[in-house]
Amino acid sequence: MDPTALIQGKLRPGEKAIVVADAGIVQDWVKSPRLIALVEKQSEHALIIFSPQNIPVTCSNDVSFSNAIPIDHEFHCDPAFSKRKGPIPDFCWVQDYWPLCPEMDSSSAYDAVSVNDIAAIDLCDDAKGDGLDSDGAVRRRAIAMGEAPIAARESVVRYQMAQREGAFTDIHNFRIFVGTWNVNGNSPPASGLLEWLACDSEPPDLYAIAFQELDLSKEAFLFNDTPKEDEWTRAVITSLHPKARYRKKKQVRLVGMLLFVFVQERHDAYVTSLGGEVVGTGIMGKMGNKGGVSIRMEIHSTSLCFVNSHLAAHVEECERRNQDFHDICSRLSFSNFMPPKTIKHHDQIFWFGDLNYRIVGIESNAAKAKIDAGNWSELWSKDQLKQQQKDGKSFMGFNEAPLDFKPTYQYANNSDEWDNEKGRAPAWTDRILWKGDHIENTKYRSHPTLRSSDHRPVSALFNVGVKVIDPVRYRKIYEEVMKQLDKLENEFLPQVTVDKLEIIYDVVKFLEPQSKTLTIANTGQVPVQFEFIKKLNDSYFCKPWLSINPYADFLKPGEKRDIELRLKVDPTTVARLNSGQEQVYDILVLHLEGGKDLFITVQGDYQRTCFGLSLHTLVQLKVPVSEVPTGKLLELEADRESEISACNAGVPKEIWLMVDRLYNEGLDEDELFFAKQGLDVEIRAIRDALDTGTPAVLPGNVTSVAGALLLFLESLPEPVVPYRFHQQCLDSSSNYIACMRVAAAFPDHHRNLFFYICAFLKEALLHTSKNGLDPRALATLFGAIMLKEPVGSPGQGLPARTEQAMKARERQKANFVYHFLVNDFVDATGP
Amino acid sequence: MAARGNTGPKPNGSAQGKICQFKLVLLGESAVGKSSLVLRFVKGQFHEYQESTIGAAFMTQTVCLDDTTVKFEIWDTAGQERYHSLAPMYYRGAQAAIVVYDISNQDTFGRAKGWVKELQRQASPTIVIALAGNKSDLASKRMVEYDEAQTYAEEHGLLFMETSAKTAMNVNDIFLAIAKKLPKSGGPGPGGDAGSSATGRRITEADNQPSSGASCCK
Ligand SMILES: Nc1nc2c(ncn2[C@@H]2O[C@H](COP(=O)(O)OP(=O)(O)OP(=O)(O)O)[C@@H](O)[C@H]2O)c(=O)[nH]1
Ligand SMILES: [Mg+2]
Repeated sequence: MDPTALIQGKLRPGEKAIVVADAGIVQDWVKSPRLIALVEKQSEHALIIFSPQNIPVTCSNDVSFSNAIPIDHEFHCDPAFSKRKGPIPDFCWVQDYWPLCPEMDSSSAYDAVSVNDIAAIDLCDDAKGDGLDSDGAVRRRAIAMGEAPIAARESVVRYQMAQREGAFTDIHNFRIFVGTWNVNGNSPPASGLLEWLACDSEPPDLYAIAFQELDLSKEAFLFNDTPKEDEWTRAVITSLHPKARYRKKKQVRLVGMLLFVFVQERHDAYVTSLGGEVVGTGIMGKMGNKGGVSIRMEIHSTSLCFVNSHLAAHVEECERRNQDFHDICSRLSFSNFMPPKTIKHHDQIFWFGDLNYRIVGIESNAAKAKIDAGNWSELWSKDQLKQQQKDGKSFMGFNEAPLDFKPTYQYANNSDEWDNEKGRAPAWTDRILWKGDHIENTKYRSHPTLRSSDHRPVSALFNVGVKVIDPVRYRKIYEEVMKQLDKLENEFLPQVTVDKLEIIYDVVKFLEPQSKTLTIANTGQVPVQFEFIKKLNDSYFCKPWLSINPYADFLKPGEKRDIELRLKVDPTTVARLNSGQEQVYDILVLHLEGGKDLFITVQGDYQRTCFGLSLHTLVQLKVPVSEVPTGKLLELEADRESEISACNAGVPKEIWLMVDRLYNEGLDEDELFFAKQGLDVEIRAIRDALDTGTPAVLPGNVTSVAGALLLFLESLPEPVVPYRFHQQCLDSSSNYIACMRVAAAFPDHHRNLFFYICAFLKEALLHTSKNGLDPRALATLFGAIMLKEPVGSPGQGLPARTEQAMKARERQKANFVYHFLVNDFVDATGP
Repeated sequence: MAARGNTGPKPNGSAQGKICQFKLVLLGESAVGKSSLVLRFVKGQFHEYQESTIGAAFMTQTVCLDDTTVKFEIWDTAGQERYHSLAPMYYRGAQAAIVVYDISNQDTFGRAKGWVKELQRQASPTIVIALAGNKSDLASKRMVEYDEAQTYAEEHGLLFMETSAKTAMNVNDIFLAIAKKLPKSGGPGPGGDAGSSATGRRITEADNQPSSGASCCK
């Protein structure tokens, strides 16, 4: 059958299975099949995972829900979604599936499964891209990435221990007596039930005793309440085998179906995890006139389930009986367990009761004649239950001992005669079947001397093997398994080698980028996801003067990747390096997901330059920077507050040199400052000339000098307009007089430089006809540089201002400078 | 038929299905033998020429106690001084630490005291700290007296053992002693940030039993 149609049949109205794929979930060393369906409802999507109950899957009953995961709008499939507390606004329809999904449960056993389900989905993605071997990779990656390590580990341990069970368990023999009787609403016989329950010479270790039609009254049916329960309980208790003492472990009843389990007192402590449940399959498929009642338990380490059922009556209702059997199988669930256990989740299952299957294909009197002659074995092939079993329609996989007794139905009251009134053929309606390992049947019989009903009681004796754990051997093996898992886990940790742990750069100079390559090779057995991660208290994984590309990637075993580490000191980083607030030194942390970290040291000797020195320092330097001892330079840089004497407050010689060159040779240059950026080599030559004082005339083309001038101004740690005047300048930008007043208040060395630059720009504007410069454009360019935004102010780190607000600020800066380019300010320059 | 839902054997008094996971970090000066201790504990090996650790190595190892199983996530840190500032990434969120010194080197003991002080100030307040005087096989070169270290450990509430990664003396024992001292109820301690270590390694809480807790067969 087409799996999509099949899955569609499991969904609710309005939900559409878009695609269904076969998948496997690899839970550690076990792989089990799943079906994954992409389901859509009103443009929301979810993955619903089903586990097949039968293979091949042929009908929708063959699959059950195992997980449902919403997919969000970014195509993330979030397993944590299911763990989220509180109401979820969307995906209510997905949530509705969760109670049906055992693997959604957060109990440890299934937790691992749901996480692994996701790992499997992850992997499908990977597999598409890289053609990975999916099985191997899921398992290994899940281990390597430490996904839900504990839950996964617990489930692996459970599996591994189950595999080795034989090595630490002993099989102890247990004798189980199973009895069933349809009592047709009668009270217990006055003579008691010893003939049935205590007919063997030795007492059983455990009794499972079942009744049907305990009470046929309306009250019993409608209110599920009957005085007969106590009567029969007393009758049973007084008729248990006299050679042993028993304790009642549990009793469950639904209308007329009653089931007891008793164990010998000496076993009491080893019988645990009891549960009792009922399922009605009668009128409307629900009422308790038909159905099943069940008790489950564990004896030492073996789980047992006893089911007493009363299936649909009448010869022609064979299909109905089959249906009842399947309904009980699927609906009976011991809900006090997480996840709930169903009948099939048991090592040993005993199923008995009035199953109501009849003898067919033979005329009633002919059948009676054969039976009365003792030739009932000739009727076995005409028994509906045998036929249905053979056809695979019900009680598949269940065993039954030979029916070596007379049919138990239907007798006349208190007589050994057949009830001829209804003219029915006799039948083996009352049966005892079993399924599971270590079960040996020793007796299967009826008890014809108990005549108070139209049925005769039936009983069976079993020798069952119960697993008993030897704690000493258990512990030894448990430790071995742990050791093995540790070994496996450590072996599958991600491993890489890098070609160097130290990256050492040549002399590091302003505006001279250098690249080094680091090669990372995956030398382990698992794919590696690596990433450079930030250190505590850092906001980024490397210093601003470094860039790493790629800073994260995925490597398959044996694969290598070259990482480019590019170092560049630019106007934004030069000042902190000059002042010694920062070194060209960093330790990078290369993290392997799910594994270790490697430290990569990056360092270089930084060569200081006049670019990025503070104006405060620059005006005090009478010689080129290269001639100033580093200590002296750091001292000057550390003190930016001291008063600058008026004679020292002139324009720094470096700026004078650049402006002088431009003044002499550049005023007629077309689009000076705008046309070209200047050549890097020339700008570096200018840098060296400024730093060393030679050659006296700056090298390079005027456009390079113009570019160098802009870089120089941009690199100033405190811009030409000091930060503390920044806002005032913007606020007064609409009014020239106000602008003049603010500028007049700048400290001498800033004010001098500001007017010096403005004077030079005014001069350049006199040559507009040649150079085509426009005062608006110049004001905008120099406004942005001379009124550089304060570090950490909006636009440079703090929450961004709106783009509009930023534009308005830029306009105000331009306006501020513009006033000084178009007005005569000579008067204001003097103090 | 071994049904999948069967939770399997859990005999009373024997190791149970429950596993507690703890993050353990090793600290101490370079060359005192941190990596050697881990190598001995995890693989039962010893290397005469153990490379200095440049980074933080990661391994896991499980210890079975009477009633619980303790799984250690071990972070072996770099002891060289220049990597000191990175150590908090690894001891943050750790539930246990082993501070190692070399009994043949007095300076390393002083350095160990520094680590203890830093841990007690900066790490999780519930962290279990063990002091390991390693290289106890070098008795002839002993510079740190047993009693001195023992007294110091007592005063500062530390577990203390002299160990030898070379001879394996006390190596398992010190991890076992830590495992015993760690609180087992509910796995990761109350530190709160144990759920995710600094390095982004994802750890799912070991213990998310449903609170409505239908009694499972424990
Ligand atoms: N005699 C002796 N030597 C040891 C012992 N433990 C370690 N060593 C040696 O000491 C040296 C340093 O050991 P490591 O384990 O690398 O030291 P470490 O503390 O990890 O050092 P870093 O990684 O640099 O922090 C190696 O040569 C080891 O062989 C020991 O118990 N006895
Ligand atoms: Mg080391």
